[in-house]
Amino acid sequence: MKRHDVVVVGAGLAGQRAALAAAEKGRDVAIVSKLHPLRSHSGAAQGGINAALGKEDSAETHIYDTVKGSDYLGDQDAIEFFCQEAGPTVVEMEHFGTIFSRADDGSLARRPFGGAGFPRTIYAADRTGLALLQALWEHLETQSFTLYEEWDLTNLIVRDGRVQGIVAFDRRRGDFEELAAKSVVIATGPFGRVYARTTNAHSCTGDGVAAAYAVGAYLKDMEFVQFHPTALLESGILITEGARGEGGILKNGQEERFMTRYAPHVQELASRDVVSRAIATEVMEGRGFPGKYVHLELMHLGRELIESRLQEICDFCRSFAGIDPVNEPIPVMPAQHYMMGGVGTNLRGETNIPGLFAAGEAACVSIHGANRLGGNSLLETLVFGKQAGLAAAEFAEYAPAAVLHESDLEAETSTIRAMSNRTEGEDPQRLRSELQALMEGLVGIFRKPAELTQALSQVRALKERFSAVRVVDASKVYNINLTDALETGHLLTLAEVIVVSALARTESRGAHYRVDFPQRDDKNWMRHTLAQRTPSGPTLSYSSVAFTRWEPKERVY
Amino acid sequence: MATATITAEMDVFRFDPTSESKPRYQRYSLELPPHAPVLTALLKIREETDPTLTLRYSCRSAICGSCAMLINARSRLACQTPVGPEMERHGRIVIEPMGNQPVLRDLVVETEPFWRQYHRVEPYLKPDPLRPMPVGKETPMTPTEVKRFQETPRCIACGACYSACPAVTADPEFPGPMALAKLYRYVVDPRDGAHQDRLLRIQTSGLWLCLRCHLCTEACPKDVRPSERIRDLKELAIAAQGVTEPGSRHAVAFKDNIAEKGVLNEFKLARQSLGPSQLLGQLSQGVKIRRRKPELMKKPKPIDGHAEVVKLYELLDSDEEGTP
Amino acid sequence: MRIAYYPGCVAQESGRELDVSTRWVCEKVGIELVEFPSFSCCGSGFIDEANQRLNLALNARNLAIAEKAGLDLLTICSTCQGMLSLANHRWQEAETRAQLEPALRQIGVAYRGSVKVKHLLQVLTEDIGLAQLKTLVKRPLSGLKVGAFYGCHLLRPQAELGFDDPEDPHTFEDLLTALGATPVMYRGRVMCCGFPILFVKESTANRIAANQIDDARAHGADAMATPCPLCHISLDSYQNRAETEVGHSLKTPIFHLPQLVGLALGATPDQLGLPRHLVPTDGALAKIAAKAST
Repeated sequence: MKRHDVVVVGAGLAGQRAALAAAEKGRDVAIVSKLHPLRSHSGAAQGGINAALGKEDSAETHIYDTVKGSDYLGDQDAIEFFCQEAGPTVVEMEHFGTIFSRADDGSLARRPFGGAGFPRTIYAADRTGLALLQALWEHLETQSFTLYEEWDLTNLIVRDGRVQGIVAFDRRRGDFEELAAKSVVIATGPFGRVYARTTNAHSCTGDGVAAAYAVGAYLKDMEFVQFHPTALLESGILITEGARGEGGILKNGQEERFMTRYAPHVQELASRDVVSRAIATEVMEGRGFPGKYVHLELMHLGRELIESRLQEICDFCRSFAGIDPVNEPIPVMPAQHYMMGGVGTNLRGETNIPGLFAAGEAACVSIHGANRLGGNSLLETLVFGKQAGLAAAEFAEYAPAAVLHESDLEAETSTIRAMSNRTEGEDPQRLRSELQALMEGLVGIFRKPAELTQALSQVRALKERFSAVRVVDASKVYNINLTDALETGHLLTLAEVIVVSALARTESRGAHYRVDFPQRDDKNWMRHTLAQRTPSGPTLSYSSVAFTRWEPKERVY
Repeated sequence: MATATITAEMDVFRFDPTSESKPRYQRYSLELPPHAPVLTALLKIREETDPTLTLRYSCRSAICGSCAMLINARSRLACQTPVGPEMERHGRIVIEPMGNQPVLRDLVVETEPFWRQYHRVEPYLKPDPLRPMPVGKETPMTPTEVKRFQETPRCIACGACYSACPAVTADPEFPGPMALAKLYRYVVDPRDGAHQDRLLRIQTSGLWLCLRCHLCTEACPKDVRPSERIRDLKELAIAAQGVTEPGSRHAVAFKDNIAEKGVLNEFKLARQSLGPSQLLGQLSQGVKIRRRKPELMKKPKPIDGHAEVVKLYELLDSDEEGTP
Repeated sequence: MRIAYYPGCVAQESGRELDVSTRWVCEKVGIELVEFPSFSCCGSGFIDEANQRLNLALNARNLAIAEKAGLDLLTICSTCQGMLSLANHRWQEAETRAQLEPALRQIGVAYRGSVKVKHLLQVLTEDIGLAQLKTLVKRPLSGLKVGAFYGCHLLRPQAELGFDDPEDPHTFEDLLTALGATPVMYRGRVMCCGFPILFVKESTANRIAANQIDDARAHGADAMATPCPLCHISLDSYQNRAETEVGHSLKTPIFHLPQLVGLALGATPDQLGLPRHLVPTDGALAKIAAKAST
């Protein structure tokens, strides 16, 4: 059995930043990741990272924009801290070696982003996530830590009221392993793969969030699912908001620039939920193209701009959709993109379980509230990754040695071995597809109570069938049939929480839109949803939103 | 939207070393639109036919670098390689694991040698203590400095270049294209204070083993053009440190050799380029070759207009003119 | 057709058999080779490593010589083809021209970028055409299985060469088929011969050469053929050293491209300089003769 002070699960930006913070404090740090760190989904983030660095900008306006963007559900104290940390965070990343795009005077270039009152999104062409991820990984090389690469988290061990370690599956050797740890940071990113159409990578199955939930952590605001307005029609591959930031426009099947009706002042640069609903409405009301989509047009921007500032998008359209955006419009539809919800934390990354921390998209502080602004997610990973790492390091400094028993490993592995020993049973990929289809159809942008109820019963039926899931691949080495099954289990767990939370919230706010309750209801619903596991399903409670200076107002762009 | 399909005939490399004695190719036939990527085909096989087919994949959008493999003998990202053109070229699609790395199972290779070479070049910023970065703000960069970062930041470390390279397994001393391109990224970074040291160390750690065959550049899905970055590194190394060992000595000797007559003096090149022990080692071979090819010892006459060549050397090859 | 003849340094010196066989073939197929004693070395990729701008300027001068005469340029060496194509490609960039035109002006040279640089392989297949070539074949090379070995710089980088697929070409195999030989497909045919590091770390160069020869052999080749005299040095002149390095015999004759063409068109081995090779070609020649006599 291996032993460390701090175990970070997930090696994207949040996980790496947490590991860096803990290692700098002198802790013995381990990073557990089901992918090589550079393969993490952070690398797919395109558009940029927000920081009020310009002379005409200020953290104040960044704070206000984020509060408003959250539809006033974001905790204002956390948002203030977050925005004040933004400038130093970006500068720190630049000093670590990030290669950002530059203005002519040599300073960091900035572009406008949806929902922002000022162009404050700092970027690296349209691969900002990749630039940050590489720089952070390379900087992390100057610290000492242990990497457990291609290990899938299966379970957290909690005993005597605190975290004692984790159990994970080593893909290469095909064995389950325990790691004893005084503190654990969950940074496993999103779980968009509960949906059929998502910009998420296939690996985004919320393993850490499900594991935290399983040991009693609160999952906060799970009903708030962000749909990105512009994803390629067939594949769900993200076309970054930066395309609209650079001047791209949306047209419906009647060649109308419809955003003028929905957001008269900023049109395509309204926040994501507004634009997604607009597109979904256009298509629902029959004004989409045959095949149910709208067009994103870049042609008027000219070849030079497209091929220099939007090179990745250009490549995507050409490679994945057979479309040349210099000459043709791009067929797009909204797709699940970001989970505002996650493991509930405070702004130090602490959860309700001593020794358990979370950061990044896997966590919910909440700074994004009911809807996230573009450019705030990359920032979140770094700001709260650091906080969680510091807090985890501090916890580990004073905590007694972790205690694991043989039975911890056995208990976990016997359930999973049963999957392989069955001679007949359910196919994990099949169960996953069915889940994705039902979530897509019933728990999407426009939510109806009858559909949510139906979704809940279908998810539960799938969970029932999952208890008989069968792994047919008998090999010990690199068994992704087995990891498929593990991931499907996590997705089912999280889907149930999403649906229950969505069913309960009888208002519309931010990304959560109830057709039967289309208005925001601050009187009854200015509160965070907390979901906690019970044997019969999630039980909900609520916590208050922190206000400092901004009174809730109607959100108009 | 038209969804006409073709039949993709895929011959996929299968090998589980824990239960099989040798690899085999398994044939799968699928109906797919021609622009569908190979990855979509492989995932379809996993979903509908054979969940034991094993591969690495994640983002499906050519940014994570997980799905590099050999597709009809070319190192490519599966998520970015459409089935239609492959079928047109070969009538079938042969899918194999990446080259130059041991196979763990099916299309999954052991990537440890690849990452080890990457770590070997110390790919992290080594700030200059005498030129600290500004406190509280970004390090400014001139347009020239920014321009040098055009290609290398696109690298997603997918390993396609490493897979395509003929030198990596022929000589473990050769770091491979990705590691060298990564080193270039640091050598041109104005925030890094260790340029000289990096150039010095890479010269004796395999820089000059690059064959400049450009297979890496053709394989790279992100237009990093590693062989050209390596060429830039070589030039920077010579400009910074002159001739330090066989690779730089040969390049400079060749350049000096041509200055004399405008065309190559083969025998003289051997003497100029090779150190005394190398020359000794080449002696018997030289004799062997000369027996069949007596022109080996010939002294060429200067070309017409030799003075023009001399003038170009004067104008473009004095001091450190060669910096890119 | 008339074309400026750029033989390259090695073909004029120790690789003379390449020049000799080229001239024989060109005469037969109707290519008039116009010679220029003012051509300088292409740099062989080595000058490019030491000083990129000097390399471009030297080759721009070469191209300007052909341009002044109103001719395109014929190469018989993959490396020359690569270096001259590199200069041609870079000459399209305003920035490159701005950097180098002042120096060229000082020697009274101006290059406008109009010359096409073609390797003999390209000229034979595109300008002469395989159909025409077939009509001139007197001794089909049937019975001979040949592994084509392209030489990196003939194909890559694609942006500069653009002649055939940079990783999966077919022109050379098509030519071999037209000559009656059986082309052998093997992955090493587009890989490196090791020549650039022959004087840097010979053991590795030897190993690489042996890899490609073994690969061709394993797929049934009786012989290999190459359009590059530098590949020829590595694969033929240093084949014995490659054998020592890997510890087994390779025994594979290496033909220059025009030698095979010449044989098919009726030349004798002596006319093509075959006895100059270090690895005897008699065995391969016997295979052609054997088939012809059955």
